[in-house]
Amino acid sequence: MAKPVIEVRNLGIEFYRSRRRRMSLREMVLKRQNSAPSETFWALRNISFDVARGEAVGLVGGNGSGKSTLLRMIAGVMLPDEGHAKVRGRVAPLIELTGGFLGELTARENVYLAAGLHGLTKEQIDARFDEIVDFAGPQVQAGMDMPFRHFSSGMQVRIAFALITTLDQPVVLVDEVLAVGDRAFREKCYERMENMLSGGKTLFLVSHSEHDLRRFAERGLYLASGQLKSDGPIDEVIAQYNADADADAAS
Amino acid sequence: MIGVSQFRGLMANRQVVRTLVERDLRVRYAGSVLGWVWTVLDPLLMALIYLVVFTVIFQARRGGHQPYFLHLVTGLFLWQWFAQNMTETSRALLSEARLVRSANLPRELWVVRVVLAKGVEFVLTLPVIAAFTIFYMITGQTKLHWTIVLLPVSLVLTFLLSVGIGMILAPVTVLVNDMARVVRIVLRLGFYATPVLYSADMAPPVLQKLLLFNPMSGILELFRSGFFKGEMNILSVSSAIVLTVILLFVGSIVFKRLEPAVLKEI
Repeated sequence: MAKPVIEVRNLGIEFYRSRRRRMSLREMVLKRQNSAPSETFWALRNISFDVARGEAVGLVGGNGSGKSTLLRMIAGVMLPDEGHAKVRGRVAPLIELTGGFLGELTARENVYLAAGLHGLTKEQIDARFDEIVDFAGPQVQAGMDMPFRHFSSGMQVRIAFALITTLDQPVVLVDEVLAVGDRAFREKCYERMENMLSGGKTLFLVSHSEHDLRRFAERGLYLASGQLKSDGPIDEVIAQYNADADADAAS
Repeated sequence: MIGVSQFRGLMANRQVVRTLVERDLRVRYAGSVLGWVWTVLDPLLMALIYLVVFTVIFQARRGGHQPYFLHLVTGLFLWQWFAQNMTETSRALLSEARLVRSANLPRELWVVRVVLAKGVEFVLTLPVIAAFTIFYMITGQTKLHWTIVLLPVSLVLTFLLSVGIGMILAPVTVLVNDMARVVRIVLRLGFYATPVLYSADMAPPVLQKLLLFNPMSGILELFRSGFFKGEMNILSVSSAIVLTVILLFVGSIVFKRLEPAVLKEI
């Protein structure tokens, strides 16, 4: 059997409840013995699951249930305190889309920079540059040599989405980004996501939209207060999530 | 071993480091040479001021190597690179928080990249030092010594030392709010605790022993050697090498240990 693309084992991450940092220089250099009883909580704990190649998984849960944190750890931009999240192959993270972009550089420079950060060589970017700009749309095309901050936020997201989905990496992580962009662009995004899925990509999707979840995901993971509550076909998972939410509302 | 895996990760991403360094330089030199002028002007003016203060006002009989102006220029240029490395690396993760959060790259890269970019700037100022050296050679006040071939070694040492300390400063600054202020004060003290204005052999024996614990002291010794008599305090240079290796090792451990906490805060 092929090894899972995403392998999450006993994953746990602990946060400070208050923003106050209790770290002292002495504590850092020595071990964290005797650290003052500062209040911490586990944002996620004992999370284990596998995702096979080509699977589309939707992550469901209320606000603060740890969805985005889990996604970040899979993307490798946050490190767990317990267990591990292993991904075989590179990841295209549709999280904080415009994170790798800088306002003072032109859109063109930004595309090269951000694609470079995600591991593409100059030649690879050259080859895909037109594809990226085409997808972002004609308004963007006209302004590629404009400072990035002069673009509207919607346009910025368009470029970023076009770039990241053009990276052609085997694992795609999506965090609520489908809600952005106007209607025409959203349709384009949906289409591209479907193409990626049929092209054998592995998709990991966080969304509050049942419509999006049902459209893309076959399997659902349900997170509640840092625990993995259920793992099954997306319809069942959504039904369980809704039932829980209704029960909460009733009580 | 911890340092080795970090080094491998950096080498695998050298393309990215290059992109980032190029970007830094492009932002700094956006379309003009004014950026370069600023890099050169600051230490040159300081050298001029110190020259006036020590030779005209204090009338010091001997202030470091002769010619004293060349002594000042060599010291101030190298010190400026090191000092900028310290202030910039301490901000390296915070100032690029958005990039750090969105790209899965070895986080050490953000430190290395700053030191490299500042290093390129420093190398671009070397012609100024060369020009003064040639001037003093023509006027017969100094001559180059074979130890000038060790100059690149002193630059590599400055680079490694800065990366080592930077790997401590960058994550600590994220977690401890007032670290930037501490860095500023320590740098100001460090300027006088390093033989930039004077030369180490002028200090009384006790202080000379203390200077052995300042790695920049030995590195400066190595850097200047070729410009002046070609003498150097081998003990001070070897101490600098040992300290650099230790700091690089400590830095990579501290960085690895603090990395998870930093990523939560950023």
